[in-house]
Amino acid sequence: MNEPKKVDANFPSPKKISQINATTLGISWSDGVESAYDVKMLREKCPCANCIDEWTGEKRIQPGQIKDTIRPVNIKSVGRYAIQFYWNDGHDTGLYTHDYLRELA
Amino acid sequence: MKIFREVCSMSDQEIQEQVISALKTVQDPDLHKNIVSLGFVKNMKVENGNVSFDVELTTPACPVKEQLRSECETKVKAIEGVAKVDVNMTAVVRAAEHSQPILTGVKNIIAVASGKGGVGKSTVSVNLAAALQMTGAKVGLMDADIYGPSIPQMLGIPVTPPKAGEDNKFFPHEKHGIKVVSAAFLSKEGQPLMLRGPMLGGIIQQFLQNVEWGELDYLVIDLPPGTGDVQLTLTQKAPLSGAVVVTTPQQVSLIDAEKAVRMFESVKVPLLGIVENMSYFVCDGCDKKHYIFKSGGGQAMAEKFKAPFLGEAPIISGVVEGGDDGLPITFKDQESPATKAYQAVAGQVAAQLSIIQAGKEQTETTFELAWKE
Repeated sequence: MNEPKKVDANFPSPKKISQINATTLGISWSDGVESAYDVKMLREKCPCANCIDEWTGEKRIQPGQIKDTIRPVNIKSVGRYAIQFYWNDGHDTGLYTHDYLRELA
Repeated sequence: MKIFREVCSMSDQEIQEQVISALKTVQDPDLHKNIVSLGFVKNMKVENGNVSFDVELTTPACPVKEQLRSECETKVKAIEGVAKVDVNMTAVVRAAEHSQPILTGVKNIIAVASGKGGVGKSTVSVNLAAALQMTGAKVGLMDADIYGPSIPQMLGIPVTPPKAGEDNKFFPHEKHGIKVVSAAFLSKEGQPLMLRGPMLGGIIQQFLQNVEWGELDYLVIDLPPGTGDVQLTLTQKAPLSGAVVVTTPQQVSLIDAEKAVRMFESVKVPLLGIVENMSYFVCDGCDKKHYIFKSGGGQAMAEKFKAPFLGEAPIISGVVEGGDDGLPITFKDQESPATKAYQAVAGQVAAQLSIIQAGKEQTETTFELAWKE
């Protein structure tokens, strides 16, 4: 029988997410990296098919469209790979993958 | 004479100390630690030189169980003053960390996928479940192939509606000691379920949320081919512990299997390994293995993705008959090369799950944060 090889399950994943202040989200990653995100930036970078055209890749959110009062209402994990934001403008279709959040950090 | 012996020989307490230091030299080959520091050694008793203890493994399907037992016996017997050794091998399956409010009694969830259809995912799923069940584990099997459910046939379960429980919940069917849910039970026998994509997710959610699975060590999920709605719903809603990808040896199958591997990569589900099914054919005339779909494809793919190669299962009539008659070959014929292959796959899958849980720093994969103004 083959000696079982090690499964690579050590990609960075969020260890803890927290609210740093009224407009900043913090993520502590499993590899020790600490990231801070401005919530308005996160809303503007929403990767969902309504905000980024599924076929052309064109960004549909216009500059200035997202108000300064934008806040998350609730934040939930999705599976083992993403985070979903429920925003106070009613938008909730964006799944931010861990990889994407690392890019935005 | 009796008094003299007691004075000369070691006391039971001294023996116990020596036994423990001897067991500290017994390594678990998968977890790379000795069995004492892993906390496997339990209920040690030493009476007049008679030593007995339990070795509690992380899975009853441990492929090195007998090897560990004989190593323990040999090393303890070699200690001066030990008259008799009684090693009792037990297992308690460790649960993968998850706090999702679904499948709370289920310790490990294994998705079986392929990419291409017709490579024998359901055959592998059924025999993997059977092999795990035969080691003494509590096993469930979810038939997530909504359009082409074949698990009931393969396990010999008549198509009847599931028994209803409280709060919209229902009970799985049970056969050969395996708990089973399947879309086949949701329609009349032979009638197709004709549904559009979004409905598939709804059915899968029901299988996850509304089934009274009870306590399970392993839940095997037989996925449909492809990388579509069912796969996405499962990876988003179910805390999958890992995935097994099934392929046949030829290029046409490997291309699709690679896509399945990349799908699990992108949703961060650990790949437990690759199973090559229908690897070779043995006719009833001689023992020669005929590699009708080429050979080595599964192994090469496992190397490419640095994943464990879980083994090759033959295409032989016993496997087909087992599927059609409702008694999987793993239950029916202990000597069949197919049974041996599936048992090896089950052992390796269980070992990989234990390795992941032991090695990975446990992170909170499921969380919710309410924002404060």
